[in-house]
Formats: sequence, C-alpha cells, structure tokens
Amino acid sequence: MEIPFVVNARKDTGLFNSKVGIWLFLASEVTLFGGLFSGYLFLRLYADYPWPERALPVLPGLINTFVLIGSSVTVVFAWAALKMREWRKFQIYMGITLACAAIFMVLKGIEYNAKFHHQAVQIEGPGPVQGKGILEGHVHYAEIVDGKLTEVKDKDRYHDEGVFPANRILIKASELTFVLKRPAHEAYVREILKQAGDDHEITLVEDYRVPNEDELHAGGKNRTQLLESEKALVAKSGSELSIDVLEDMEDAFLDARAHDKDIRTDFLAASWDWIRDEKGDDDLATYVVEKDIWKERRKEDAEKFGPLMLSAPGEVTFKVDPPLILVMKPGDIPKSSKEQIKLRDDTVVKGEVLPSPMIMGVDAIDFRHTAMRAEAEGIDPSKAIEQSWILTHTDSHGGNDLKKAWDCHMAWLRFQTERLEKKGRVPTDNDKYRVNWDEMIAYQKLDFIPDDVYKAASEDTLYHAGLFELKGFAGANHKEFDFPHVEIPRKNVGFESTFTPKWNTYYAIYFTITGLHGLHVIGGALVLGYYLFFGRKMYDSNPEWLANRVEIGGLFWHFVDLVWIFLFPILYLM
Amino acid sequence: MADSIEEVKKAKKLYMFIGLLLFFFTVITVMVASVEWLDFGGHGFDGVDATIGLIIAAFKASLVMFIFMHLNHERPLIYFLYGLGLVMAFFCIWLIGWSKSDPIQYGNSNRADGFYNPDKPATNVHGHD
Repeated sequence: MEIPFVVNARKDTGLFNSKVGIWLFLASEVTLFGGLFSGYLFLRLYADYPWPERALPVLPGLINTFVLIGSSVTVVFAWAALKMREWRKFQIYMGITLACAAIFMVLKGIEYNAKFHHQAVQIEGPGPVQGKGILEGHVHYAEIVDGKLTEVKDKDRYHDEGVFPANRILIKASELTFVLKRPAHEAYVREILKQAGDDHEITLVEDYRVPNEDELHAGGKNRTQLLESEKALVAKSGSELSIDVLEDMEDAFLDARAHDKDIRTDFLAASWDWIRDEKGDDDLATYVVEKDIWKERRKEDAEKFGPLMLSAPGEVTFKVDPPLILVMKPGDIPKSSKEQIKLRDDTVVKGEVLPSPMIMGVDAIDFRHTAMRAEAEGIDPSKAIEQSWILTHTDSHGGNDLKKAWDCHMAWLRFQTERLEKKGRVPTDNDKYRVNWDEMIAYQKLDFIPDDVYKAASEDTLYHAGLFELKGFAGANHKEFDFPHVEIPRKNVGFESTFTPKWNTYYAIYFTITGLHGLHVIGGALVLGYYLFFGRKMYDSNPEWLANRVEIGGLFWHFVDLVWIFLFPILYLM
Repeated sequence: MADSIEEVKKAKKLYMFIGLLLFFFTVITVMVASVEWLDFGGHGFDGVDATIGLIIAAFKASLVMFIFMHLNHERPLIYFLYGLGLVMAFFCIWLIGWSKSDPIQYGNSNRADGFYNPDKPATNVHGHD
C-alpha cells in the first residue's frame, strides 16, 4: 500500500504529512523541555544553598556548542544536496553531522565521568551555624596494613586487590546478626563472604528451629518437645554462612509468621463477631477502644492462641572467627556506634569500629554555605568560617595545608577587593568564600605564602589556569597536580557524595536536562544515520521522498541544537 | 521554503552565514561571562549578565528557528502547532508564580530563600486564616 502525501502536499494543509507529524512532535518537545526549564528555574530561585554559579568546565560545553551549531549547518546542507540531486555531497554532509553527534556524546561522556569521580564532602564539627564548609576533591585509595587503614601512595596500585577508595568505614566484625523479616541480604552476604575469603569462618551460633506445623496441631507435645523434634531443625549450629542457609531460615520464618498471622486474624474475627452479638452494631468502636470487656476478651484470646503459634525467632546470629575487618561503604551504614554498625538491611555487625578517616586530595574549599547561614543568623561570616574544622584541625604532620590555602585566598581577596574598589565594584560571594582548583594550584606554586600571593596578584603574575586550560579540561586534574592532602576523621564527615544528583538539586537538574538532551542527540543520530546508510534505495526510487525525510530528521536535529543553545549559557555560564 | 535548485543554492550561502553568526554570538556569550571589560552590571555573575546571556540565546534560537527550520516562510498550521508548544512551555514557567502564593511561610523571612526553621512559628504573611 502506498503511503499518501509523503512527497506531495495535501491540499487542505499545504504540507506533506510527515511535516505535520514532526511539528506536532516538536510542539510536545517544546512543552517537555519548557517544563524542565521551569523546574530548573524553580530549583534555582528557591535553593536553600548557594547555587553553583559557573560550576561546570566551560570548554567542553563551548566545544559542544560549536559542534552542534556546525552539525545544524551540515544537516541543512545534506538536505540541500538531496534537493540538488547530489548523492555524494549528501553522504559527506550527513557523515559530518553524524561525526559531530559522536564528538558531542564523547565530550559529554568525559564531562559526566569527571563528575562521577569528583568528590564533595560537607564538614561536621564545631561552629555557630549549620554549614561548616565543603571540601571538594578526589578520594585517595587505601588498604589495610596491620589491621589499620593505610593510604596507598603509589597510584599504580589503585586497582590492586585489597585496595579501596579511602572513604570506607572499617569494622572488626566478630558477630553478625541478620534480621529474617527483611529478606534482602543477598548483596551484603555476598560482599561479607567475599571479604572473608577462606581465612575466616562465619558460622551459625545456635540451631535455628521452628516447631513443625503438623506436629503442633496434632497436639500432645509441649513447646520444648516440639522444638527438640527433628522436623523443627531448619539450620544447625555451626552451619557456615551462605545465601542458601540464610534463605532456608528466611523461608521458615516467613511461613511461620504467615501461619501465626492467620491464627491471630481468626481469633480477632471471632472476637468481633462475639462483641457484635453481645452489644449490637451501635457504638461498637467505643466498646472496642474503651471498654474493659473487649480488653478482657482479647487477653483471653492471647492465652488461647499463644500455644498455637509457631513463634519463629526473627533474628539469627553468626560468629566470625577470627574477627574480620569489614570494609563497608558509608552509604550502606545508616547507623553506627563504637561497638557496632547497622547495615541498610538491618543486619547488625558487632565488633570494634576502627578509625576510618576519609582521605582526599582537596582541590576546592567552599565556605559560601557557611557564610549564607551566618548572614541569615546575623553572625559575622568570617567568625563562623574561622571555627570550622577545615581551618582549625592539625594534620598528621602537625600542619594544615587547607588553612595555608585559605590564608593565601584571603591575601588574594585583599588584592581583589582593592582592585575592584577602584572600579566601584565589590567581590562576589564566589570570590570571598570559595577557593577554586586553579587558585589552589596557584597558591601551591607559591608554597602557600600569603604575602607572595598578594605580590604575585598585584604584579599580575599569579598562575591562572584560565578558560582554555587543557590540564583541567573537565575539572580539576589530579593526575597532573598534587592537591593538598587531608585526612578527615569520620566524625567530621557529614554528607558526602560525588557530583551526581545526590549532591544537590543543581546536579539533579543538570543531569536530568543534559541526559535527556543527550538521548535526543543519540535518537536524532540514529534516524539521520538510517538515511545515510539505508537511504540509497529510496533516493533511487524517488529522491524527493528522501529529501523530505531528511528535512524532517533535520528539523528534529535543529530542535536539539536549539535546546542546547539555551542549556549552554544557563548551565555553564550562569 | 527553497524548492527550486536556484533557490536552494542561494539558501546555502544564507545557511553558512547564519552558522557563522551563531558561532560569533556563542563567543560573545562566553566573553560576557569571562572577560572583565565585557562584564556588565556588577562584578561577576548577576542579573544583568543573565539577561544579556538569555537575550543572545533567544536571538540565536530564533535564527535557528526562522532560517534552519524555515519558520520564516511556513504554512499557518506549523505556526499554530509550534505556538501551541511555546504557550504550554510558558505556562509551565508561569506555574512557578503559584509557589509564591503559599500563604504559610516558615522562619522570619519573607525572602524566597527556602530556609525552613521548625523552631520558629509559621507566619501567615497574607493576613488571612
């Protein structure tokens, strides 16, 4: 069957059908991205933290803008080539368009990858306001040597076995208690068994026994006899921890719980019937809540159904011999004390929580949140900043590189304030309260001597990475530069995350919009690629048909470009 | 739209010119954000920079729409469809205004700073129950 109006226009609309279709689609796309831009605006206007202005590396974004604009030109040239029946030129222009799409996605990948590996941590500790400062950088790597967390200095060893990112929590585990009512232990069990290897035995402390249902209902045996029966044994003490053993116990527990629930429900239903018969339906709720008669009945119920319950134990404990140093991600541990940690699945690991500092190379110090909170509370921001752990701690070498960097920043700020004053301007909050990675390098190059920083700034010789600094193409380059090293005690580690949607709403909306835009680039490239690689047959049968199709694909491609034209300044420059 | 070969040939020059114009304005946008003598308003990013950046972006977007997407000479149906999308998009942005009309604000501030302070009583800023 021939599809109508794919080459020639309909009389009523004056358009070929595919064009109406693509514009309908584009209208819905405008609404979709309009909603997302609206979301961005809302998050920015109502953010309760300093919005990360100009936080993204400009160069990848700028190159991508050029790439998309260039591809918009080539896609329209490809369409023009078809109109002029120049197949070879169409192939070249469309090929360039697809190459541009690939470059765009590669650059986006580099940018995303940098974000996935860049760490931020909110510092906890003394201070008059809620924000105690933020450190940004790259987490170093560590291993366990003689039972202690030890930093791995050799970067070539980062991917060796037993080496892990130095933001883990260590616990010398001697006992594990699994909660059977939350059967979701598999990932943790696998991880624990992996870390235990063959050197540690993890065995069940006591038999796990649940009375057999048939034996219980047959009667004639008390609870002790029921539990001693062979049929009651689910897992024997000394059984090694495995997913299968745990699942057997979980199944037995869940079956027993379902059995017990049914009996309780039956008794409850019978009691409802009884009180209805006794008192009628009127004012029933009052009776149930207030009257002793109901409480008495339920007490009798409990005495009756108690012996009918299987009452399986809800927890099982395994001992670890010899004790094992478990290395766990902080995100897996909602609660911890000195003696135990609790995993997300409620598994309790008992033992001794070892010192687990977070070790990182710091490429930025950010006190904007501290200043914002201090101003809101009517406190001098500099007083709040001075009390932060970042500036008051002493590292293992008896110094504090971050304090030195901050002092240098203050020297630079003094120069910047004087310079701007002459122009009738004032420094921004970014100037005042944030040390960027390029500044950190500049200060380091001057051995963190504030007077030298002031002098270099005055003479305009202060190292400046600049917009086109390739060494930090997509962010601070930790391969080229050694940034100040810091060990943050676990008690001073507040919220921490890489620069992903978890960190703040800015990165949430950044990844949402750019991710969706990236999917549009891939989708558009697939359609245009189809015309390039499989369009010859259509071209031979009716070149105008292919030209129309390329025009439709091109319209979508221009729309993708159009969205980026707004995304670039909004996300990268504002 | 350019339909004849002559028209298409002529349009190609225009497309190239528009492409260069888009490159040029992209550079200008980045310069406004990074070069001090082009930093209008106060020092660093502020509302003036945002306005300039968005005006340039809107101009660039209109070049893409009118020239590359041929909206400078389209059929009425296309304008209607695209206009519908734009109206919906602006409606989404307009919705933000509603968030301002929340009668209950927390803390002691009428600023839209989003601070939530449970220790301070809710203030009825609109003066009605």
